[in-house]
Amino acid sequence: MMRFSGVCSAIVIVMLSGAVSAEQAGWQLFDKVQHAVKHYNFDTSFVVLKGGKVDTYRWLHGKTAEQEIEHLIPLDTSGVDILRRDALVYYLLTERPAFVTRSASIPELPALLFEDKDIISRLYHAVAGSSSVMSGRNAQLLRLTAKQGGRYHYWLWLDAQTGFPLRIDTLSDNQHALERWLVTHMQISAELPENLRALMAAELPQPVDNPVQALPDSSHQLTWLPDGYQQVAEPASIPQLENSLLSYWLLSDGLHQVSVFVQNSQRLPTQAYRDGATTIYVQTNAQLEVTVIGPVSIETARQLAAAVR
Amino acid sequence: MSSENQDWLSAASDNQPLGKAQLDSLLSSAELQHKLERYQTIGAVLRREAKSPLPDHFANDFATLLDAEPAYQLQSSAGLLTRIRAGLVQAANGRWLQPVAQGAVAAGVALMAVFGVQQYQQQAPDMLNPQPLLQTQPIAGFATPVSLSQTTVSDRFAEQEQQAMLEQQKRLQALLNAHRQQVRVMEQAQQAKHNSTDGPEQNEP
Repeated sequence: MMRFSGVCSAIVIVMLSGAVSAEQAGWQLFDKVQHAVKHYNFDTSFVVLKGGKVDTYRWLHGKTAEQEIEHLIPLDTSGVDILRRDALVYYLLTERPAFVTRSASIPELPALLFEDKDIISRLYHAVAGSSSVMSGRNAQLLRLTAKQGGRYHYWLWLDAQTGFPLRIDTLSDNQHALERWLVTHMQISAELPENLRALMAAELPQPVDNPVQALPDSSHQLTWLPDGYQQVAEPASIPQLENSLLSYWLLSDGLHQVSVFVQNSQRLPTQAYRDGATTIYVQTNAQLEVTVIGPVSIETARQLAAAVR
Repeated sequence: MSSENQDWLSAASDNQPLGKAQLDSLLSSAELQHKLERYQTIGAVLRREAKSPLPDHFANDFATLLDAEPAYQLQSSAGLLTRIRAGLVQAANGRWLQPVAQGAVAAGVALMAVFGVQQYQQQAPDMLNPQPLLQTQPIAGFATPVSLSQTTVSDRFAEQEQQAMLEQQKRLQALLNAHRQQVRVMEQAQQAKHNSTDGPEQNEP
């Protein structure tokens, strides 16, 4: 009997240590992908697939001993060039002054490539998957599986040689792909891309550090938050909605952000939409209309809307 | 020999194929090459082509021109630099809180959302394109007897419903833009708050 229980314990220990080492291998891959996008000089193009719609971008990044620069260029829309130099992000508008924010990454790029590993490891398990060939390169799968329900999963394919991300799928709770980020061209070089040299030296507008205008006090309460989310203290005001907005909350789990808007009822039916991985949920009653927008499941959005009192 | 040469050279100038021996003799004889060029020119004139072929020294001239050219940057970067210089007066942050400036960023960056939302309602379901999980409840949710007047009322109602849905979509687009803008300025807002207070604090509802 003793011998049998000893064998069982040994099996359990072997299985647990196997799972731990698989997770360690996963986080090592995660480090590799973050290192690639933060430290390499590269010139790459990628597409974002949302349903039948495709958006194409060119993304350049360069790093010297003193400075870091990256440039995101939308290729097929009348979009805005976005430039980041160190911790300043510039939205370069046509015939208007640039809009400047402080951020260590461009928010329009996949946040999980830049966010702190400690934050992400609180929300996700990382497991290394199989190898495959993607666009003629050896790709290694890395699965980020959400620890709590209602949060989307990510599957990343990394270039086995460089660790550069080749594809990122955002998957729903039941493993349906909602959005796909796919690299179509990639060039990693030892030197700073030529296009970035001039931008590195270009004189750019300074940010104006106006005190952030906070929203007026809310007349409603949000009585429930999804697992891992916290309210962002004093989000910026939204002047274009100030006539119609009764209350607003911005929630964050460190990686994702969710907005909850409360407005007067338009007496329209309750509806849910999805723009890629972003859920837009509108709940209406006789007095109020609550709109939840963010990368959460419809069920989580419904619970949030129902938690407005 | 001359007449023989002229026959196959003339045929060659009309795009007729050359034999191996003919090609060899053409390549080895400068005189034949000049003759072929003259035939081509005659042919071009007969065909009323506007201009005779490029002169012999074209390639050399072109190489000289290329050597003299300055090195160019890619247009996107150069154009961008010009734009930056033109708008260098100050950052728009002082004014970005005004709806107009904010709308400009939103229009460029979040344009995708308009189409995304519309598509979502129109397209057939597949793996990357799920249908709305909550179907819209019809506003006309009452039962009435079928009659001629009912058709008219129903049509008018459908029109009103469509108009209401369009309005709703515009409103949702505005909210989606506001959400994206909040994400863009979140880090800045948090930094500003950290600077203005000693540490982070929770904002209870």
